Amino acid sequence: MASRRTIKIGLDGGSRDVEVQVPEGEPPIWDAAARLRVVGQPVRRLDGAAKVTGTARYTYDISLPGMLYGKILRSPHPHARILSIDATRASKLAGVKTVIVFDRPDYFGKLENSEDSGHPMESDAGGSEGPKKRRIRFAGEEVAAVAATTPEIAEDALELIDVRYEPLPHVVDLEEARRPGAPKVYPQGNLAPPSVGEQGNVETGFKAADAVVEGTYTTPVALHNALETHGAVARWDGGKLTVWASTQGVFGFRDDLAKFFNLPAASVRVQSDFLGGGFGAKFGAGVVGVVAALLAKKAQAPVKLMLDRQEENLATGNRPSSVQWIRIGAKRDGTLTAIHLKSHGTGGIAGGAGVSGPVRMFYSCPNVRTEEQDVFTNAGFAMPFRAPGFPQGSFALESALDELSDRLGLDPLDLRKKNYVEQKGKVLMQEYDQAAKAIGWSRRRPPSAVPANGEIRRGLGMGTAAWGMYGGPPADATVRISSDGKVECVCGTQDIGTGTRTAMAIVTAEVLGLKPDQVHVVLGDTATGMYSPASGGSVTLTSILPAVRSAAEGARRKLLEAAAPGLGAQPEDLDLKDGRIVTSSGGRSVGFAQAAARLKSAVISAQASRVDNYKGMGGESWGAQFAEVEVDTATGQVRVLKIAAAHDAGRTINRLTAESQINGGVIMALSYALLEQRVMDGPTGIVMNPNLEDYKIAGPMEMPEIVPIMVDASDVANNIGVKGLGEPPIVPTAAAIANAVSNAIGVRVRDLPISPDRVLALLGKVKEV
Amino acid sequence: MARGKRKTASSALTRRAFLKGVGIGSGAIGAGLLAAEPPHRPAPAKAAGATLGPGPVALGLKVNGQTQTVRVEPRVTLLDVLRDRLDLTGTKKICDRGECGGCAVLLDGRPVYSCMMLALDARGRSITTIEGIAPKSGLHPLQQAFIDRDALQCGFCTPGFVIASKALLDRNPRPDLDQVRETLGGHICRCGTYPRIFEAVLSVGGRGRPADT
Repeated sequence: MASRRTIKIGLDGGSRDVEVQVPEGEPPIWDAAARLRVVGQPVRRLDGAAKVTGTARYTYDISLPGMLYGKILRSPHPHARILSIDATRASKLAGVKTVIVFDRPDYFGKLENSEDSGHPMESDAGGSEGPKKRRIRFAGEEVAAVAATTPEIAEDALELIDVRYEPLPHVVDLEEARRPGAPKVYPQGNLAPPSVGEQGNVETGFKAADAVVEGTYTTPVALHNALETHGAVARWDGGKLTVWASTQGVFGFRDDLAKFFNLPAASVRVQSDFLGGGFGAKFGAGVVGVVAALLAKKAQAPVKLMLDRQEENLATGNRPSSVQWIRIGAKRDGTLTAIHLKSHGTGGIAGGAGVSGPVRMFYSCPNVRTEEQDVFTNAGFAMPFRAPGFPQGSFALESALDELSDRLGLDPLDLRKKNYVEQKGKVLMQEYDQAAKAIGWSRRRPPSAVPANGEIRRGLGMGTAAWGMYGGPPADATVRISSDGKVECVCGTQDIGTGTRTAMAIVTAEVLGLKPDQVHVVLGDTATGMYSPASGGSVTLTSILPAVRSAAEGARRKLLEAAAPGLGAQPEDLDLKDGRIVTSSGGRSVGFAQAAARLKSAVISAQASRVDNYKGMGGESWGAQFAEVEVDTATGQVRVLKIAAAHDAGRTINRLTAESQINGGVIMALSYALLEQRVMDGPTGIVMNPNLEDYKIAGPMEMPEIVPIMVDASDVANNIGVKGLGEPPIVPTAAAIANAVSNAIGVRVRDLPISPDRVLALLGKVKEV
Repeated sequence: MARGKRKTASSALTRRAFLKGVGIGSGAIGAGLLAAEPPHRPAPAKAAGATLGPGPVALGLKVNGQTQTVRVEPRVTLLDVLRDRLDLTGTKKICDRGECGGCAVLLDGRPVYSCMMLALDARGRSITTIEGIAPKSGLHPLQQAFIDRDALQCGFCTPGFVIASKALLDRNPRPDLDQVRETLGGHICRCGTYPRIFEAVLSVGGRGRPADT
C-alpha cells in the first residue's frame, strides 16, 4: 500500500510542491519546509573523547586472554606454481602453536565466488598443470600462515617455512599484458570481454559538431592505505565464532565466514566498534578474516591477525589504472553533440577498471558511446576505491571539456551549464555559483592571457561531481527508552569515521526532543540483529537513518501514550521538546526522565525497517569543485592554493562532520592528482613502493585552503531526505587541479599524477619520461 | 623478496645500527624540531657491560608516571611493548617504520616515533603516551579543541597528532600556521583532517599559554 503526499523540494525560497508515492506507515516527511532543531546543526562527534584520549578500541587494539599472534607468509614471485611447502621447521619453533599451508589450488575457493573477497576470478584448479598444484598470480599472495605466542616468534616462524616454487613468466605492465603472446594471467588470457554502451549515434553526433577535441589520458594504480590495516581477532567457543574485524561491513564479513565454515549465520558474531579508515577495500571477510578464524580453530586459542603496511599495499586492494581515449564534439555555442570514450586499465588479477560513469551521467549529450576493457596482470587485485571509476573518468572527461571550452573560446563553467542535466530538486546550478564565487572564478583568463610572476604561474580549473543513490532497504533499527531514562539507538552498522554513530544520535534526539549526547548508540555488532548494508557507495546514512527515524517515532508514540493520562491529555496533543513532554497548549508538562520513570514496564522499544525509496525521486548527489594552483615552471612543482567544494547530500544531518567529509574527499583526491602511484618493477614483477615513504600521500605541507560548502535540501527519496556524501567529494578534485595546471601553463595535462618531471616535460624543459 | 623488511633478530640489529648511524637516535619527529635541538642519543643498550638477549630480558619503563616491568626480547620496539605488553593501545601501529607519526609518544617531553626505538633504549626516560595527556578529570585543552573543531574522522592518526601538537605548544605556545604545518609534517591522516587539526592547534595556541599536563 502506498499513499500520495505533497511535499516541498528544493532550497529555501526556491522550493516547490511535488507529489510523491510514499509507502504506508511512513512518518511525516522532513521536506524542505520542515523546521528541525538538531538535524543540520554542527554537532560534535559522540566518540570524540574516546578517540582523542586513545581509549577507543579498534580491532588492532583488541587483546584476549591466551591470544596468539598470526602472520601470513606471502609469495615473492609474481607468477609461480607451488611445488611443495614444508612447515616442519616452523612447527618446531618454541612458541609456535600452529602452521597452516595453503597448498591446495582451491584453498580459498569459497571466497572466490564472493564479489567482495578480492578474489573474484575462478581458480584454474584442474587446469593443464593438474589439480594438486596451487598457482600464485601476484607477488604477495598468501602461501602459509602461523600462530605463535608473540608477534616476534610468528615472524621468525615464517622464515622457517620452506616453499619450493616453480616460477612462471609474468606480466605486470598494462600494455605488455595486451600484446599477443604475453604471459597469461588466466588460462583464458589477459583481456576480459569488453563492455560497450551506446546511446544515439556518435558518428552522426560528430558530423553535427562545429568543434571536436580528442586526447588520451592516463591514471595510475592507487592504493587505499587506510591507516588501520586489514585484520581480525578470532575466537571460537565450541561451534560459535566471534570475530572483531577491521571491516566496512560486519554483516557481509559474518556471511562470508558462515559460508566458509558451513555455519549458520547466527553462529558467527562480527564486531567493529571503531574502524581505522575504510575506503572500499574492507568489504567481506577476505583471506585475512578466513585465515584468522582458521588459525584460531586449529590452535584452539584466540588469534589476532593484523597485516603490516607492506602486506596492506600488496594484497588488500587498489584503484585500477586507466588509459582513456576520449573524443568530444560540440556546437559553436558549446552544446555537446557526441562523446566517445575508449578505455582500458588493470586491477591486477581482478576486474573493476571501468571509468565510464561520469561520461554517462554528468552532462546532457544525445550521442554517447563507451567501450571499456579490463586487462589482467600479475599484480594485487582491485577493490572498490571511493567512487570506483569516477575520479579516473572525471579526469578525462573534464579535461576534454576544458580543452573544448578553450577551443570554442567559452568559459569552462558556461560550457558545463550549457549541458546541464535537469532533474527534480537538483541544486548543482547553485553549487556551481557558490563554489565559483568562493574561488573567484571571474579572475580566470584563457591560458594565453595568464600573467606570470617570474617563473611562477597561476591557474584556475573546475570539475563537476555526481554520484548515484544506492541506499535503500534492507536496514533495521531499534530505539529503546528505559525506565531509568536511558535512550538507546541500536543498529548493527559500522562507523568508518564518517560520523554514523553521531548521526544516529542526532536523528533519535530530534524525534525525542533530546540532545544528541543523551542518546546512547549501539553499533558495529551483528549480534544486534539490526541489519545494515556495508558502508560503501555512500549508502550508510541513506539506508539506516530513515529506519532509525521510524523506530524513534515508534518509541516516541509509546512514551506519549504512557504519559498522556498523567497530563490529562490525548497522546496526539503532546509534544517532546527540550527534554520535556509538553501539552500543545503549553499548560502542563513532565520531564523526559520522569515520564520514563513512570513507565509500567522497564523498557519500551520500537523496531523499524527501511522502506523503499519514494518513486519519482532521483536521489543523486551532485557537487562542484574549483581549484587554484601555482606552478613553478623552473622546478615543475605544483602547489594547490585553494579548493572551493560545494556539495549536497539532500538534508545535511551534521554540518560539522559533513564538512569534514568534503575536506577528506578533496584531500584524498589532491593526493591522487599530485602524488600517488603504485610503481611496479617489470623484470621482477614486484611492487617497488608498498610503504608510506615511497608511496606518497599528501600531508600537512601539501594542504591548500579548503572551503567546504554544504548546500541543503533538494529532492526527498526517504522520510529524512538524506543522500550520500562519502563518494562525491573525491570525484572532481583531480580534474579541477589538472585543469588549473593546464590553465596556468597553457599545455594540457594528460597524465596523473601531475609530478614535477611531467610538468617540466609538458613545458618542453625535459624529455618525456 | 616480496617482503623487504622483517623484524627478525638480525634486522632489528640492523635497525639499531641504522638509527645510530644517522644520529637520529630517538626517532625525533619533525624537521623543525631537529633544527631546534640537537638529536638526543639513546642510552647504551648494554646493562652493566653484559650483552642482553636474544631471549627475553626484564625491562623497567616509566610510562605516564608509573614504572612498570616487562620481559621482552631486546629486539622489541617501544611501540610493541606499549601496545602488546602494557595494553596502552592508544599509540597506533600504522607503518612501523617511521613514516606516518601514528606511534608518536613523548620521551622526556619530546616527540619520538616509538616504532623507531627499541624499548631497551627507553629505560630511564620518562615516556608519555596519549593515555597520559589528559588531567585527572576532563580533557587536555588540545584534546577538547580536536573534538570541538572535528579535527578527526576515523581517529586512528589522532593520538599521534595530539602528541605532536602538545609537544609543539609546550615549547612554542604561540605557533603560526606554518610552524604548525611543519611540526606536523611527519604525520599522515588518510581521512583528510589536516585543515581542522591546524585550526584546533591554533585555537589552543592562540590562548598563548603552554598546555599543562
